[in-house]
Amino acid sequence: MAERLDDRDLERTLSDIGTRLGGTKRDLWPAVRTRIAERRARPWWSRLSIERGALAPVAATLAVILVAALLLTPRVADALGNLLNLTGVQIYRVPQTPTARPTAPALTFAGQRVATAAEASRIAGFTVRTPAALGDPSAIYVETAPVRVTIVYASVKGIPTSPQAGVSAIVVEFKGTLETQIMAKAIGPGTTLDAVPLGGGVAYYLAGQPHQFFFRDPAGTMQPETLRLAGNTLLWEDGALTYRLEAQVSLEEAVRIASSLR
Amino acid sequence: MEGRPAEDAVLVERAQHGDTEAYGELVRRYQALATRTAYVITGLSAEAEDAAQDGFAKAYFALSRFRTGAPFRPWLLRIVANEAKNRRKAAGRRATVDLSVAEDRPSGDTALSPEEAALASERRTFVLGALGRLREEDRLVIAYRYFMQLSEAEMADALGCARGTVKSRLSRALARLREIAGSEVSADG
Repeated sequence: MAERLDDRDLERTLSDIGTRLGGTKRDLWPAVRTRIAERRARPWWSRLSIERGALAPVAATLAVILVAALLLTPRVADALGNLLNLTGVQIYRVPQTPTARPTAPALTFAGQRVATAAEASRIAGFTVRTPAALGDPSAIYVETAPVRVTIVYASVKGIPTSPQAGVSAIVVEFKGTLETQIMAKAIGPGTTLDAVPLGGGVAYYLAGQPHQFFFRDPAGTMQPETLRLAGNTLLWEDGALTYRLEAQVSLEEAVRIASSLR
Repeated sequence: MEGRPAEDAVLVERAQHGDTEAYGELVRRYQALATRTAYVITGLSAEAEDAAQDGFAKAYFALSRFRTGAPFRPWLLRIVANEAKNRRKAAGRRATVDLSVAEDRPSGDTALSPEEAALASERRTFVLGALGRLREEDRLVIAYRYFMQLSEAEMADALGCARGTVKSRLSRALARLREIAGSEVSADG
């Protein structure tokens, strides 16, 4: 190339190159869909490794949670086994799980009982949704400090009644996110964890023994949560809200119920 | 344009609510642009496609953080470009723009005489060689403007810079390209 390109020739040549860089002609969607499914199926900790470099603040938070866990559940802390580090989530694996809330009289839930989801929404300050797959709720309770809505299903066909609370299923909705907040969860050897696709994101399915977990509320405060039923639990988030379904149902059924939120 | 923003917004919203096929439509709409972007960084076609696929998958999981009403295209390209940069860094090498990719594809311009076509081909070879010697950031800003025809606002989003600095970045990148091309002319001469 012995001649010098003027600005016009340079720009024209660049545009010419652009028209020839066609990009792929292959349909990438099947491959992308597979990669999405693979990422969803990965265990939490392996997906976390992608952003491990950005986890210094989480490590600091982990220390806070560890201390809090010691204060909140000393027996659990004493028995702390291996520590797993997850995306925005810390899991303490312990030899023994904390027991669920002591056998409570049937249908005793905290908060104000309201008649409809609309009324619950008004008090809670967010839109309360109910899963159509469970039918009409038996009762809805709204707590205000912190804000938490508990929707109770006393008897649902095909779902056994929990001996702990005397109901088939409960759905709890509260502010706080699993992705950006920190949650700690004590799980025992009898509990399994699965990450499953739900809507555009991921839900976490905990099956086996009763369990307890911690999450950070919108104010940044760590809150302990005890699961009410000795059943399986699906945790997921949508926007600023976290949802949890507790019912003695399979993973597939839990996802089906969660997908029916209206 | 490879898609109208209004349609993108509808597809993004559907994808955010769990409609994976809506996301599939976005992938098909922008797969050429995404692989082109990754290619400008990696310089290898196969690696570019791989980076684009991973970029699409990452973008899918980031949809919940996508700002409603924002343009999807530059947001996606930024994710894909980062993915391509990470791959190139991991491989520990400079990108080399593979000439054959640009040369093998017809541009649709049949109005050139054989002599003009030969000259145009020679210029492409020359400019691609100079592009390969540019810094990655310069190559990317030129690619967004001339290879992807992004608007200034889209370029700002895709590059993660203020809109006001796009022009100056492009201008500096072109100046450096001319400088490299000029030195090659001198060497040839």
